[in-house]
Amino acid sequence: MRDCRSAESFYLYLEGELGPSERRELEAHLETCPACRGVLAERRLLHEAFTSLPPFEVPPDFALSVMDRLPEPAEAKPHWLAALVSGLAALVVGLLGFYILTGESLSDVLVAISRSFSSGFGRLLPLFAKLLKVGSLLLDVASGFVTMLGQGLVTLLSALGPEGIGLILGLGFLLSLLLFFGAKRLLSLGEKV
Amino acid sequence: MTEDSTLVAQALKGDRKAFEMIVRKYEQPLTNYLGRMTGEREAALDFTQEVFIKVYRSLGSYRPAYKFSTWLFKIASNHLIDHWRKKKLPTLSLDQPIDDEDGSLTPQVPDPGPSVARKFELAEIRQKIERALGAIPAALRELFVLRHVNEFSYEEIADIKSLPVGTVKNRVFQAKEMIRKRMEGS
Repeated sequence: MRDCRSAESFYLYLEGELGPSERRELEAHLETCPACRGVLAERRLLHEAFTSLPPFEVPPDFALSVMDRLPEPAEAKPHWLAALVSGLAALVVGLLGFYILTGESLSDVLVAISRSFSSGFGRLLPLFAKLLKVGSLLLDVASGFVTMLGQGLVTLLSALGPEGIGLILGLGFLLSLLLFFGAKRLLSLGEKV
Repeated sequence: MTEDSTLVAQALKGDRKAFEMIVRKYEQPLTNYLGRMTGEREAALDFTQEVFIKVYRSLGSYRPAYKFSTWLFKIASNHLIDHWRKKKLPTLSLDQPIDDEDGSLTPQVPDPGPSVARKFELAEIRQKIERALGAIPAALRELFVLRHVNEFSYEEIADIKSLPVGTVKNRVFQAKEMIRKRMEGS
């Protein structure tokens, strides 16, 4: 009959793989074509069998036997190693690129790089050493001063005894009061003037 | 159920239980696929085990942007191809009918339908399909199994086999028609 569809269309129809318009056309055709209805019925039975084939039996302890055979997990590579490797790879690629683009020989490039490295390093090294020396001197002086101050205070306090400490604290308190009222008086005089 | 990509991430951190969950989830579909490709249950189980070990070793290369099941079956499919190449087995050696008398196939037939007559009819058709399936070219059989046994979409099969979707659809159709013709001849 005219407009009969291919067997592939029937399979795709059964699998729901036809588009809406193709599906409607096929269904319209099936209403008027007994031969195609017969073909579809045969393919439908096959399709049902295709999609319900029995599974293979898997032993219940299969997963455990797989787990027993697994290798020990590989130790993760440290990040710094990955960074180093990628850095070296980038350097090699850069050198090769430079060689290809400029035509300079690779040894010249390496010598130039080593020279620039050594000159830069040569300038920076004395400055760094001076900074380090000044820093350590300042640290020595500061620590010596703090130690001396601490020791002096301890000696003085131990020489004075509790009465002496009390006297000093009292005098200190009196002095602060005098300073406070003196300052207040000076300020009020200023206001009057 | 935990997402495959989450299980993979946990397994990569050394959580073996997470990988065991992956094995339990996929042992059946993978054995169904490899069983129908090798025609022997024992061989299928060995292959399944080897594929899981391969998957475990390659977990680091899995990208969660892809579906885990298609990645897994891609590894399984490549594993089969490697095996056949190493053994230098021609595809024809796979065309031997599956002998289910020696117990190589152990079907667990599910209840197929409402009527007893229909049940027997389908059971008989299934047996014929199993025999015919073993006699068609491995390349067609594989696509048929991925589609109808493992229920992958045509797009997923195209991903697994790196083939155009149209080619997959056409080859699955060819496989079905070959099976049908062989069943008529038997």
